[in-house]
Amino acid sequence: MTISDIREQKISEDDMKALEKLEKGPWPSHVTELKKTKYPIEYYAWGVMHKYSPWYSGSFRVRYVFSGILARRSRDGKVSEVHFRTYSPAGRFLSTAYLKKIAYVAEQYGIGLLEFAGNTGAIVINIQPDKADQAIDIIRNVMGSDVGGSGDTFREFYACPGPALCEFALYDTLAAMDFFRSHPEIYKFLNTQLFPYKLKMKFSGCPFDCAGANARSDFTFIGTWVGAPEVDQEKLREMIKSGKVDPKELAKRCPSGAISWDDDKQQLKIDGDRCLKAMNCIKMAFPAIKPGKNRKIAMLVGSHAQAHYGPRLSWGVALLDDYKEALPFILKVIDIYSNNAPRRHRLADLILRRGFRLISDAAKETLPDKPKATPSSHLRFTTGVVLSDDERVTYAEWAKSLVKDYYGGEQ
Amino acid sequence: MAETFVPDPSERINKRLPMPYAAQFPDIIKRNYGKWVDRKFHGNGIIEHISESGESIFTVKVGLPPNSRISVDTLKKIIDVADSYGLKVVRATRGMNVEFITDSLDKAKKIVNVMEGYGFPAGGWENSLWHITSCTAYLTCSTFAVDAPSITKALYDYFMPYFTGEEKLPSKLDIFVSGCTNICAGTLAGDIVVVGHWGQAPKPDPEKIKFCLPTSAEALKKVTPDVAAVCPVNAIKLYAKEDGSVGIEVDDKRCIACGRCKNVCDYFDWDPDKIGVGVFVGGKTSNTGSGPRLAYRIVPWVPLNPPEYREVVAVVRKIVDVWRKNAEPGERIGDTIDRIGLEEFMRQVGVPKSRHNACIEVSWNFGVRQFIKYV
Repeated sequence: MTISDIREQKISEDDMKALEKLEKGPWPSHVTELKKTKYPIEYYAWGVMHKYSPWYSGSFRVRYVFSGILARRSRDGKVSEVHFRTYSPAGRFLSTAYLKKIAYVAEQYGIGLLEFAGNTGAIVINIQPDKADQAIDIIRNVMGSDVGGSGDTFREFYACPGPALCEFALYDTLAAMDFFRSHPEIYKFLNTQLFPYKLKMKFSGCPFDCAGANARSDFTFIGTWVGAPEVDQEKLREMIKSGKVDPKELAKRCPSGAISWDDDKQQLKIDGDRCLKAMNCIKMAFPAIKPGKNRKIAMLVGSHAQAHYGPRLSWGVALLDDYKEALPFILKVIDIYSNNAPRRHRLADLILRRGFRLISDAAKETLPDKPKATPSSHLRFTTGVVLSDDERVTYAEWAKSLVKDYYGGEQ
Repeated sequence: MAETFVPDPSERINKRLPMPYAAQFPDIIKRNYGKWVDRKFHGNGIIEHISESGESIFTVKVGLPPNSRISVDTLKKIIDVADSYGLKVVRATRGMNVEFITDSLDKAKKIVNVMEGYGFPAGGWENSLWHITSCTAYLTCSTFAVDAPSITKALYDYFMPYFTGEEKLPSKLDIFVSGCTNICAGTLAGDIVVVGHWGQAPKPDPEKIKFCLPTSAEALKKVTPDVAAVCPVNAIKLYAKEDGSVGIEVDDKRCIACGRCKNVCDYFDWDPDKIGVGVFVGGKTSNTGSGPRLAYRIVPWVPLNPPEYREVVAVVRKIVDVWRKNAEPGERIGDTIDRIGLEEFMRQVGVPKSRHNACIEVSWNFGVRQFIKYV
């Protein structure tokens, strides 16, 4: 069958029947949810079963609103699908009063469907095209949020729950996210498509990095500390006595071997110079071992999942005492990025093309007294591959043999 | 709430700042903001946070359908549960699940019961599967290769006991499923990252590709159109045809199937039979163990058989099994691979070796470790 044959095939009953299989199984099903709404599910069914896209990108516009509205149209041109990305409060704490307003918008102006926890940080609401204009007004005036975060602009920022719900937060991630999002110099870029490509900021409170900031934000903030973790020897001895903690295990699990246990004095020693802030010990013996008192915020740049040269992790820039200190640096980097990057290149792509010097010079100028990092880089990654027919057969057979192992003979 | 607004459309240019986060907090969080000193786990899915004032708060994690696609009907159930047993606030997690917040263990257990009654399981902390994050793919996207939500559903159906804690894992497990190489499920730095890709060079749609090309060959002299400029390996060649229009050619030998051209132009086609997923293993963003890293491409291609996706589920099962067999307690997949060696890990998984999964072990030094001078 050729591609054009597949494209010509009509939506059939069989597709819908096959989709019913996705409603079975113990985990809650998205198909069941879709069926409760006005979503054109038969197009989804056709796409899944033919492994072929049912959507073309569409264009849809609400006048004077420049970001956050996305639209698709089906291949046969009969159905359109419009959805809004809406900003959520920092940390994504959502009061039921706020959720009720979201439900109201999704019901009155949408098709009764939403993506509750979008990956950029946004809440995505599917909207009826003919009510989109009013939906914008309602989202702004009743819901108390705004649409935005798509296209070549600042995407929705993301912060881990931080001090609101976590013992490990080393700085106020929520306040940091609100500070940057509402600062006039950053806010002016929000919803205005002026960059070569998207920019993201993510805020993690500690080296556990629950916001995933290390791997998916152009401006990365991670809470850290200088020196050794704080050890409450008395409490630790108690924990060891009660069998909760094994001191030998603590020493063994430290990736740099900075921990030693003195059996005579019953004391744990941590070498602050060698501590990698891996937090293995803290995870095992909290609250007897806690992050150190000399708290800092690590500022890193340039990670992403999607870009010209493939996924990357962040380059370290400087250690800050307060997140507000980063603002001049960020503005400078935005300036460099806007002026120098080719279209559809992320910040890291620009760094790869022009060298890290771009960033380190900006840091020298705007963060003069801060300790700098020794940035490290890794090889280029590609996520897709072009396989030859032989290779395809090899991997298909291997997968088939695994299926046989796990599911038995029944096919 | 039946308000109507009839603004002057040009007023819509005025942006609005999102609601401040503090407006969403219940009083107990306001009182104890930044004062949490200890935590306790009460079975899978319930954490108690204890404040220095002695007050404590309970969070319950509940799984949502793939891609956290929920109907308003379900949202109202969530609101109802949060109003009846919680502190009238929930939190959307990074892993596309929902956290309820309440002030006593009884209420937390009640939330677990009620939500499980609705068919939404609680679980996913400590040594278990935390989440399977999915991009939206065929639901609302036009650039994807494979359908991530249905693959996620197939994986969750099998791995649910690992989420609820019936089956134990050596450590935390995060799975990400992305429909294409844009990796919108969030990151390539996950324990197991399933990434859909085309597995072949794109074929321009003969009729419609013209919408992505300049109308005359003259224009080519002045500017390179996006569709060719975005290619990182220069595999897309545009040329002037004799009749003055623009032709396009894709070099199969050079193409790395990154899908960047599909991002800027819809009119490329792929043969559905060659579409598949790659499975990446051993990444993480956390600084524990050997630190943040991107995952290794262990399996370059797995065929798709909707709607059960048995091949994909079997491959992920195999990887988890090999990890469980080799791991020491508390070790994430990346750390296990570091200890036993990538070669050995791949040998035990049994995946055929080719030029596509000749992974190179690199000494990784990322995240906050870049600030530690002695390294």
